[in-house]
Amino acid sequence: MKLTTKQLKGNSRFKKIWKYRWFYVMIIPVIILSLMFFYYPMLGIRFAFFEYTPFKGPNFKGFANFEELFSNHQFWIAFKNTIIISTTKLVLTTFVSVVVSLLLNEVANLAAKKFFQTLIYLPHFLSWVVVASIFSIILSPQHGFMNEVLIQIGIIDKPIYFMAESGWWRKVYYVVNIWKETGWGTIIFLATLTGIDPQLYEAAAIDGANRWAKMRFITLPSLSQTIIIVLILNLAKIMNLFESVFVLYSPKVYDVADVLQTYIYRQTLTTPLPNFGYTTAVGLFSSVIGCFMVLLCNHTSKRVRGRGIL
Amino acid sequence: MNQNNSYYKKRNIKNILNINLLIYIIFILITLVTVVPLLKIFVDSIDATANYGINLWPNKPVISGYKIIVSTVALYKPFLVSVYVTLVGTLLGLAVSTIAGYVLMQYEMPGRTFLSYLLLFTMIFHGGMVPTYLAMRDYHLINSLWAIILPASLNVYNTVLMRNFFEGIPNSLFDAASIDGCSPVRIFLSVILPLSKAALASIGLMFAVSYWNEYTNFTIYISDANLRNFQVMLRNLIIEDTSLAAASSAGVYQNTVKSAAIMVAIIPFMILYPFLQKYFVKGINMGAVKE
Repeated sequence: MKLTTKQLKGNSRFKKIWKYRWFYVMIIPVIILSLMFFYYPMLGIRFAFFEYTPFKGPNFKGFANFEELFSNHQFWIAFKNTIIISTTKLVLTTFVSVVVSLLLNEVANLAAKKFFQTLIYLPHFLSWVVVASIFSIILSPQHGFMNEVLIQIGIIDKPIYFMAESGWWRKVYYVVNIWKETGWGTIIFLATLTGIDPQLYEAAAIDGANRWAKMRFITLPSLSQTIIIVLILNLAKIMNLFESVFVLYSPKVYDVADVLQTYIYRQTLTTPLPNFGYTTAVGLFSSVIGCFMVLLCNHTSKRVRGRGIL
Repeated sequence: MNQNNSYYKKRNIKNILNINLLIYIIFILITLVTVVPLLKIFVDSIDATANYGINLWPNKPVISGYKIIVSTVALYKPFLVSVYVTLVGTLLGLAVSTIAGYVLMQYEMPGRTFLSYLLLFTMIFHGGMVPTYLAMRDYHLINSLWAIILPASLNVYNTVLMRNFFEGIPNSLFDAASIDGCSPVRIFLSVILPLSKAALASIGLMFAVSYWNEYTNFTIYISDANLRNFQVMLRNLIIEDTSLAAASSAGVYQNTVKSAAIMVAIIPFMILYPFLQKYFVKGINMGAVKE
C-alpha cells in the first residue's frame, strides 16, 4: 500500500483516482445495473435488421422489416393514434391545470385552499389499473353510475357504451387523464404563482386594476413561461402512452385507441409466433422519435429558460 | 366625490363577494368530480344490495366483499406479492439512488462526467419493449420478481433529485468529518444519510408508489399466476367476470367483490396519504427549483 502510494506520487491524475477509490467501488453495482438493464437491451436493437422468430434466426435481412412496417396499414393507424392522443392529452391536461391553478390562487382562505389541493392531488397516486377499474364500473352500460344519471335526467334513453365505442373512447380517455393528472399538474403552476412579486399587484391596484385586470396583465404573463416549459418537458414523453391506453382499450376500439406501444405488445406477447425482428423495428422507430423529441425539447428548453431538461 | 367613493366601495365589495362565491362553487364541483368516483366504489364495496346504479349511500352495509378477498388465496396472494415487491424494491431503489447521488456530487472525481452521461443517456434512449424482453429472457429473469425489482431500482430522475438534495448539505461538514479520519463510506453512512431524512422519505415514497402500482412489467415478464401482483389480479377480476365463482356461490354480488378489490388496492395508500402529502410536494419542488 505504501509502495503504491509512493509510486503514484509523481502522477497527479492517478493520485486523484486513488483518492476517490472508495467512490469507484461504491458505484460499481449501479454501473452493473445500468449495463444489464439499459445498455445490453440496446444491443438488441440489431434484431430490427434480422429475421427472428422463436424457431428461426436471427438471420440478417437488412431493411426488410422496415419496408414491411411502412407498408402495414395497422402500423400507420397506431402511429397516427399515438401522435393525436398524446398531443391532445397534453394540451387539454395542461390547459385544465392552468385554469384550476388560477382559480386556486384566488382562494383567499388558506385552510380551504389546502383542503382542495390535498383532494385534487390524490388521483395522481392511484395506479392506471385502479383508475381504469373505477371508470369501467362508473361508465358501465349495465347500470353504471353515469348511464343511470343520464337516463334519469332524461338526456339519453339507452345506455352508452362509453369505453367500447370508437366515437366515445378518445373523449373518455382525455377525461380520465384530466381527472387523474390535473391536480398534480397544478403544483408547478402554483409554485410560479406564489413566486410573483406582490408589489406588482399592489402597484396595479393603485392604478385601479380590478381582479380580472390583475389576472390578465400580471398573473397570466408571469405564468406563460412556466406553461411553455411544462409543454416542452411533457412533449419529450410523447411516445410513452402504454399503460394508460393498455388498461382502457379493448379490441372494439383499436381503430382509434391502438398506439405504437400497444401494437408492439400485441404483436410480440399475445401472438403464438411472434416476429421479434418486426416488432423490434417498430420499437426502434418509436424509440428514435422519442429520443429525437427529448433532444429537441432539451434544446428548446435551453433556449427558453437557460437550462435543459437533462 | 365622497358619495362617489362609497358607491365604488360598495360595488367592489359586492363584486368580490360574488366572484369568491363563484370560485367556491367551482371548487365544490371540482371536489365532487374528484371524490364521487372514489366514494361510489367505496359504497359499492360495502353494499350488499348494490348492483351499481346511482346510490351514493349503502342500503345495508356489509363487509362480505372484503371477507371474500381475505379468504380467497387467489385474491390475497397477489396482495402479498405486491407488498414484497414494494418493500424490497423501495429499499433497493433508495440504496441505488443515494449511492449514485453521493458519487455524482463528487465534482472533482475523475470520470464523473462520463458516469453521469452514462446514466443520463438511459433517460434519452432505450432499447424498447422487445429487446428488453429478450434481454430478460437471456438473464432467465422471465417469471422472476427480480425482473420487476431490479430495473426499476435504477431511476435516474430520483438519483438526480438525491444529488441535488445532498448538495444542499454544507461542505464544511464533509471536510470536518474527513479531517477526523472518516472514509467516504463512513461520511455517507454517518453524516449524509442522517441529515437526509426528508429526501429519503420523499424519494422512498416515490419508489414505493411506483412499485405498488407496477403493472406493465408484470404483464410483460410474469405469466406465472403465483407471482402476479395485486394490480394484475385486479385487472383480471374487472375484465373476466367468470373468475368469481367463489363470490357468487357465497351469495355476494360480484360487483361488491370487485369494488372491494379496488378499495384494497387504494386503502394502504389512502391511510398514509394525509401524512405523506407534504413530502411528495417537497419532492417535486426539489426537482423543479434546483438543478
